[in-house]
Amino acid sequence: MADRFTLKKLSTSRFFDSTLLITIALLVIFGLVVLYSVSSYDGSVSFNDSAYYFKKQAVNTVFGLGVMFAVSLVPYHFWERTSGLAYIFAMALLFLIIPFGFEANGAKRWIRFMGTSIQPAEIAKLAIIICLAHLVCRLGNAITTWKGIFIALGASMPMVIAIYGITRNLSSAIIVFGIALIMCFVVSPDYKKFILMGVFLIAVCALAVYVVVQNKDSALGYRGERILAWLDPNAYASGKGFQTLQALYAIGSGGIFGKGIGQSMQKLGFLPEAQNDMIFSIICEELGFFGAICVILLFLLLLWRCLIITYNAPDLYGALLIVGFMAHIAIQVILNIAVVTNTIPNTGISLPFISYGGSSVVSLLFEVGLVFSVQRGITVRDA
Amino acid sequence: MKKKLVVLFAIVLLLFVCLIYRLYSITRDNGAQYKKQVLAQQKYDSVTIPFRRGSILDTNGNILATSEKVYTVILDSVALNADEEAIEPTFAALRSEFGIDTAKVRDYFEQNKESSRYYILSKKLPYEKIQNFIALQNEEGSLIKGIWFEEEYQRLYPGNSLACDVIGFTTGDDVGSYGLEEYYNDVLSGTPGREYGFMNEEGTLERTTISAEDGNSIVTTIDANLQAMVEKYLKKFNDEYANNFHSGNGANNLGCIIMNVNTGEVLAMASYPNFNLNDTRNKESLIGMQLLDDKGDKVVDEENGNRVYITEDNVNTIEGDALYQNYNALWKNFCISDAYEPGSVSKPLTVASAIECGAIKGNESYNCQGMLEVGGHEIKCHNTYGDGILTVAEGIERSCNVCMMYVAQAEGINNFTKFQHIFNMGLKTNIDLAGEARTASLVYTAENMRSSELATCSFGQGYNCTMIQMIAAFSSLINGGYYYEPHLVKKVINSSGATVENIEPRLLKQTISRDTSDMIISMCNQVVTGEHGTGKTARPAGYIIGGKTGTAETLPRKNNEYVVSFMGYAPVDDPQIAIYVVVDRPNVRYQDDAKYATRIVRNILTEALPYLGIFMTEELSDKERTELEELKIEITTPAKSEDGSDTEGDAEGTDGAGDENSVTEEQTPPANSEIWKTFAIDPETGYAVDPNTGAYIDPDTGATIGGTFSDEGEEPTSGNETVTEITYDENGSPSQQ
Repeated sequence: MADRFTLKKLSTSRFFDSTLLITIALLVIFGLVVLYSVSSYDGSVSFNDSAYYFKKQAVNTVFGLGVMFAVSLVPYHFWERTSGLAYIFAMALLFLIIPFGFEANGAKRWIRFMGTSIQPAEIAKLAIIICLAHLVCRLGNAITTWKGIFIALGASMPMVIAIYGITRNLSSAIIVFGIALIMCFVVSPDYKKFILMGVFLIAVCALAVYVVVQNKDSALGYRGERILAWLDPNAYASGKGFQTLQALYAIGSGGIFGKGIGQSMQKLGFLPEAQNDMIFSIICEELGFFGAICVILLFLLLLWRCLIITYNAPDLYGALLIVGFMAHIAIQVILNIAVVTNTIPNTGISLPFISYGGSSVVSLLFEVGLVFSVQRGITVRDA
Repeated sequence: MKKKLVVLFAIVLLLFVCLIYRLYSITRDNGAQYKKQVLAQQKYDSVTIPFRRGSILDTNGNILATSEKVYTVILDSVALNADEEAIEPTFAALRSEFGIDTAKVRDYFEQNKESSRYYILSKKLPYEKIQNFIALQNEEGSLIKGIWFEEEYQRLYPGNSLACDVIGFTTGDDVGSYGLEEYYNDVLSGTPGREYGFMNEEGTLERTTISAEDGNSIVTTIDANLQAMVEKYLKKFNDEYANNFHSGNGANNLGCIIMNVNTGEVLAMASYPNFNLNDTRNKESLIGMQLLDDKGDKVVDEENGNRVYITEDNVNTIEGDALYQNYNALWKNFCISDAYEPGSVSKPLTVASAIECGAIKGNESYNCQGMLEVGGHEIKCHNTYGDGILTVAEGIERSCNVCMMYVAQAEGINNFTKFQHIFNMGLKTNIDLAGEARTASLVYTAENMRSSELATCSFGQGYNCTMIQMIAAFSSLINGGYYYEPHLVKKVINSSGATVENIEPRLLKQTISRDTSDMIISMCNQVVTGEHGTGKTARPAGYIIGGKTGTAETLPRKNNEYVVSFMGYAPVDDPQIAIYVVVDRPNVRYQDDAKYATRIVRNILTEALPYLGIFMTEELSDKERTELEELKIEITTPAKSEDGSDTEGDAEGTDGAGDENSVTEEQTPPANSEIWKTFAIDPETGYAVDPNTGAYIDPDTGATIGGTFSDEGEEPTSGNETVTEITYDENGSPSQQ
């Protein structure tokens, strides 16, 4: 079965996955087009410039593509040596938020550096991939044991705690932990331990929901309002359920083929954060169910190409870098769509390459650069 | 590891499929409903954008009334609640910037944070008060949420009570009530704008804004400085005589009009009691007025039959319809809304009409024996002892009733009523103010006038007119016979200041010839300057004016109640302005003394004539000089001649200007049959006492104090106290009574 995924076609020693590049290019360009459509109203209302968000995102994307190209030229083993430094750097940025961070939309998650704002949580996601790939390689067979797993996961915990503790950004913390968990899962041949962990996590979540529902009218209920709003968004239509409900209206009103690009009504001030976490619902409204499936297929294609490259990766370290990237993409896409469809409680997760956010697109393209770098190391067997 | 990768990919694929199914089920199950939902929450509602009501300016462009943009502070509890971190900073900013009691607001917020989107925190704040808050709100990373502002306009009257009766005011919905605000409501009002949404052909929502069109402003002929002088001296009179003989104001009504006789432009128009235009429903303004009941009738004390006046004690008991009756009495403009018997001020009209129709030449003499028997009635003169033989001019100077009755008899009923019509008596002047009284039923026609009524009408008793009618008619007597329509607005300008319309003086008719006019002027000059002139006390220091006094007995007769008045003009050689002051029932024991009006005229003209740039022609006595210096009035009198003969030269002037005492002192020995001049003077009142009847006699004119012209108190058929008044009900809509 493994052979099915082995690259055989090309006879040249250098391999280049043009499908991956095209997929990335499609996602980035599609992302910019959709972002312009969604954000033009808010831009013209808030900044008197309908292209305000588009321009900022375009600049960041071009910068990110430059970073991607540069990183793809650097042999990926270079990052193995810098992993400790990357970890410290990411942690330092997170702690810099405490004295230097500034607020936007009521949350303190950004720091300003040389005129641009940076979201350290996005850098942390990149750092955890680089570090854990190195750590797991060093652990070797020990990763099969509980101890090994706990060491690997434990290494990610300071970052998880720092993200949640400093920025109150639960979703980024979950993503960082998720990346670590998936990297462990892929390396370890064992299932039992992960099934146990999965069951345990689901049980904890179920318990939390149960407790909140039981204490609906108490202070606990107030804090768990997002969970209550998830269960019955209509009951909280003017409060915590408002955004979710507006996202559902957008999805539902799009129909099969949507209202056409640029024709969304929900983006006209009704759906909060339309250009950020809720962008997928506007895609559904403008391009319909069909457009939504196309976007999902693009992400699947991206993951599929990554899978192929991982299969052919020259070494474990390279493979783990790509697994980290896949985990990052998969978690964010799944959670994002789950949130806008009210499948899980509302939490702020952006859609990779499409949502507005400079730090996010640059670190994602950095990771794509790593994937290309690993891919460059693939030697193709003779046909 | 490779196997695990496949498992991972399979899991991801599975999750994607689940999500796609979820998307599909939303579209399938709720698609139609959500589509409606999205359309339903679009804003189709139209929002009205308020217009700015035009300003009212005085002749020099000073603002009498204007509209200022004010802001209402609204709390959107739902929006504030959406961001918990914003709650405290928002309340803190509300407290520090607007001084709002946040404890109350917080209670409201806690109870309604899920539902309330519109809660008024504060009203009518000017921009200066909200600009700090807006700056705070717009700061980057500002945590002030859920507060927004609604714009509206508020009517402001910078002069408060200045020209209140002329300007009028607006009710809450920017509709004018009374005065210029009502008359020019359509000009001052603009067109409100609208903001609304609609679905275009492609089914997308569009929002359109039609901006509001601001109202035009009006430039009046009122001179705010002159108006202030007039109001100052009306107030002074009131302060002097309030609660004097009985409780209440210094007079039932005080009115004053200053008019440009050559254009009909009203330069000042005021009445007292007045009220604050910025606070029209302040009950304190009512204090001192006669109490009216809910039908508008005067309330009479059941025990002693006296009229009841509004005091601090009973003001708060007035409620409902009665309150509005009293407010209407306060808000109405006495100068145009109240009709009264003008009295002797109308004598020049009688003489002018008689000369004009050729009945007399103006040089005739008549013998006054104190009364004349007309149509079976003995109609008395003020001076029941008789003035002796008087020329027509002397009849005007001394205000002799008998003389006027002879003149009117010579003229006849037809000519008299014809000229009343020519002088616009019984007709509206059509002044551009709301609420002018109709007096058609209050004058006689040739058909219903009898000889006795002709006799009383000749000296202004028996018919009614309004102040504006009288001054407009009188102006035509002294300007060469030109009757101008009195008016208050000379220009309409739009919101950007461009002229929309110029309103020129409207010459309506020629009432009398220039020759007649000149004769009337010389006669009326004697009223102030003549030896026996009744209006000497009206002459301001440094000037010679002309005019005519009026003392009219009100109905019912023999009640010792009078309306005293003075009509003056200046300069005497070429009259430019006319001034008319009416004191309706002064709050004194003996009301029939025109000096209550002449002194007000003198006070006003002392300041007003120099202000109007009319130069002084007369030399000043030391007393007058001190008086002017105290008032800080620039003395423009010609330089005093150095030789000693100057005292002789201005003797006449000082005589006329002197107060009661000086007149008494300088009594000339009885010339003709001035028998009353031999009577002893009562030291307490300053009046002469008739040894036969014990009646008080004015030592100057021989007029009996509290006297009546009527022999039996018979009331003329048309003269009754009910005049047409426009009143306003609670909603501000006019109704005729």
